[in-house]
Amino acid sequence: MKSKKIFALTMACMMGLGAFAGCAKKKDEILNWNFFAAMHGSEINDGNEIQELIAKDTGIRVKETWLAGQTSAEAIGSIVASGELPEFIDGGDGSEELYKAGYLVAWDDYLAKPEFANLKEMYSDKEWEMFKHDGHIYWANVFNNSYGGKPVSHGFNDEAFWIQVRVLEWANYPKIDTLDEYFDLLERYYKENTTNADGTKIIPYTCLCEDWRYFCIENAPEFLDGYPNDGSVIVNLDDPDHPKIVDYNTTPTAKRYFAKLNEIYHKGLMDPEFAIQTYDEYMAKLSTGAVLGMCDQWWNFAGTVNDNFKANKLDEQGMNYVPLGPTIDKGMTNRWYIGANDTLNSASGIAVTTSCKDPDKAFKFLNRMLDQDMHNLRFWGIKDVDYLVEEGTGMFYRTQEMRDKWADSNYTKSHCCMYAYFPQWGGMSRDGINTMQPGDSVSEFFAGMADPLVKCFKAYGYTAYNEFLRSTDGTVGIWYPMYQFSNNLKTDTDAGVAWTKMGEVKHHWLPEIVVADDFEAKWNEYMAAYAECKPEDFLAYMQKTLDDLIAS
Amino acid sequence: MSLMGTNSPALKEKNTRAEMKRQRILLIIAGLFVIYGIVFYYLPLFGWIMAFQNYKIKDGIFGSEFVGLRWFKFLFSDQTFLRVIRNTLCMGVLNLVSTTITAIGFAILLNEVRNTFGKKLVQTISYLPHFLSWIVVTGIVHDALSINGVINELFVNLHIFKEPISFFSHKEYFWPIVALSNVWKETGWNAIIYLATITSIDPALYEAAAMDGAGRWQKIKHITLPGLRSTIIILLIMNIGNVINAGFEVQYLLTNGFIKPVSETIDIYVLTYGVGKMNYSLGTAGGIFKTFVSLVLIVIFNFIAKKTGDERLF
Repeated sequence: MKSKKIFALTMACMMGLGAFAGCAKKKDEILNWNFFAAMHGSEINDGNEIQELIAKDTGIRVKETWLAGQTSAEAIGSIVASGELPEFIDGGDGSEELYKAGYLVAWDDYLAKPEFANLKEMYSDKEWEMFKHDGHIYWANVFNNSYGGKPVSHGFNDEAFWIQVRVLEWANYPKIDTLDEYFDLLERYYKENTTNADGTKIIPYTCLCEDWRYFCIENAPEFLDGYPNDGSVIVNLDDPDHPKIVDYNTTPTAKRYFAKLNEIYHKGLMDPEFAIQTYDEYMAKLSTGAVLGMCDQWWNFAGTVNDNFKANKLDEQGMNYVPLGPTIDKGMTNRWYIGANDTLNSASGIAVTTSCKDPDKAFKFLNRMLDQDMHNLRFWGIKDVDYLVEEGTGMFYRTQEMRDKWADSNYTKSHCCMYAYFPQWGGMSRDGINTMQPGDSVSEFFAGMADPLVKCFKAYGYTAYNEFLRSTDGTVGIWYPMYQFSNNLKTDTDAGVAWTKMGEVKHHWLPEIVVADDFEAKWNEYMAAYAECKPEDFLAYMQKTLDDLIAS
Repeated sequence: MSLMGTNSPALKEKNTRAEMKRQRILLIIAGLFVIYGIVFYYLPLFGWIMAFQNYKIKDGIFGSEFVGLRWFKFLFSDQTFLRVIRNTLCMGVLNLVSTTITAIGFAILLNEVRNTFGKKLVQTISYLPHFLSWIVVTGIVHDALSINGVINELFVNLHIFKEPISFFSHKEYFWPIVALSNVWKETGWNAIIYLATITSIDPALYEAAAMDGAGRWQKIKHITLPGLRSTIIILLIMNIGNVINAGFEVQYLLTNGFIKPVSETIDIYVLTYGVGKMNYSLGTAGGIFKTFVSLVLIVIFNFIAKKTGDERLF
């Protein structure tokens, strides 16, 4: 009986406390808003320290959610269908659909007001023009945009054939010009080294084929032919006055590239699980340091993999990757790296939705994100905790301990809040001394590197990742990148149907031709299946889009 | 039942009215369910109109342009869709047959176990997988069948496989994998209803058979199986409509480029085109087709059951 009474009393106390807690919460006037990105990302913890600081400052706490399991198109599709929207959204390829459904708030009125000067400053009038639909702006891409128009990147965020520095070191830092040389080097290294120090079996080459990430196997032919990443097509400039759309899937180079993959598969250099691995498995594989090389985008693997290397001291064994930019034959133009230009992709970006009850406040929040003190807080962290300021010069720097903390996901989840899909700058900071983002700072860039990587940079005499690609031409047309015109294609047009079918056929056939015993026969089968998709409908549409763009 | 044999219409009517009065509570409840059915099952069918439009969210269901049978034409001229129908039906039938047979077999075997504790234990363990969600099951299947997975390790060490098999690189393995996953997950659960039926068979029959010198096998063959017959037929009819729901999660989560041509089901197709490509009209058309096939399957199977003089739904 007694224990029951005590229990009842405890419960009553708890209820009372709960009620008080409820009251306390009401006083907190911070709005809890949501943001959804049609990308993969990791959620930060509730009560994240910097997030709370930003919340106190702006009165808004933004809960970021990401794709979970489904593809971006499916996620946006179901959001559009249900009409249940977060306040902020980055719809990725689905941005256009969100606009068409009338779910996005136009930016124009806000951009015209002086209190939103930071947002206005992001792009020139001409660039904002690119974002317009029906004469209004509905979103702004936040990436590849350097303050003052001067990029300072030492990194390389894009696609390349990556190779571990230990392989280069073993071969005494050779220059790799062609695809054949690249695989030859992997083969020679693998002949003498089949397991790592910890007993893991080395996988000379792997190639992710999962869902939309199959670009890792799919789009290399455009680069190998000496063209930049227009994504869905090549723009041939043999006749400079009449640029011509070329399908890179059917070029002789494409055939040679896949024949090469087929060859290395039969030599046992290709990861036997390449086509059936999931993205998570791929990342786990790379993180063990077992994979010598792969074709991928830096942003698709480097963050997680490099953090894991650091945490397990694998970076000290030369597991880090550097990019290589081979072409199919020697002496060709190389456009893997198209120079330190900001690439404007107007097809997607951050948007405010009609579900937001106070758009004015939302735009103020976006605008506030670009103030220098806020920008530093997001990307550098808290002064004296996450970075130090050198006296006299005003340079920001981090101690090794701080760097290690920022590479530790447990710490970053509870402490760092970058709002990475919200407005931001690259390039130099407004003070002219520091960089907007720590990764772009020269001292921070080299300070964070393990010895083998530094040695590799020194051996080649490079100071930036992009130099490894040895690109010879950085010019791109006004249409660049063409994928901004194809990614939004839907199945209500012939071009869209062709584009969808082409993707389906490639998803199935590319792994098939790599593992084929009779490459020629399978390739012909693949080409026949591909032709059935009527790629000509798609190419004609792209040609017309290109012609219209040049004419305007 | 009391009306049997009466021929006078007036009496019939009077009786009906009296009967209705007596059962008014039941009638009200039944009426509520009818309303529920109309609101939640029939009214949404109005949305089918989208299949005949070029539906755009902005224009809404009343403003979108009508395009007749365009999407149905698209579907049936699309090689992918035809392949998807094949995949769905084949996997559906395979799943239905394998889960039914294993469930019956398992129920009979379990029934023959004399030790009550052992029986309860096995039964409990066997139906636990039913409560796992597919995402967990596919995770287990994917890991177990990977090149470094349990299955390969076991069979290579037992020298049954010469070298590890990459199960998900071969189209011909996929349907059996899906069927086996279903069997693993649902056998125990599906066996419950058969077990219950077996226990309701009159024990006197078994005793009589034993007297006549029937062994265990003969008892199963001549008493248990005939006793299960009507349950099996009813469950088959009910599940045959589900053949077209061959699954979404398993195929969606286990697919890759190699096996896509055999793994895609109608549900996945509807998702990629309807939601992914935001072609809601096409998605709806696919959905209508699916409903239509279910209906046809049930009617046909019910008709067959009627002809053979067995239990039937309607």
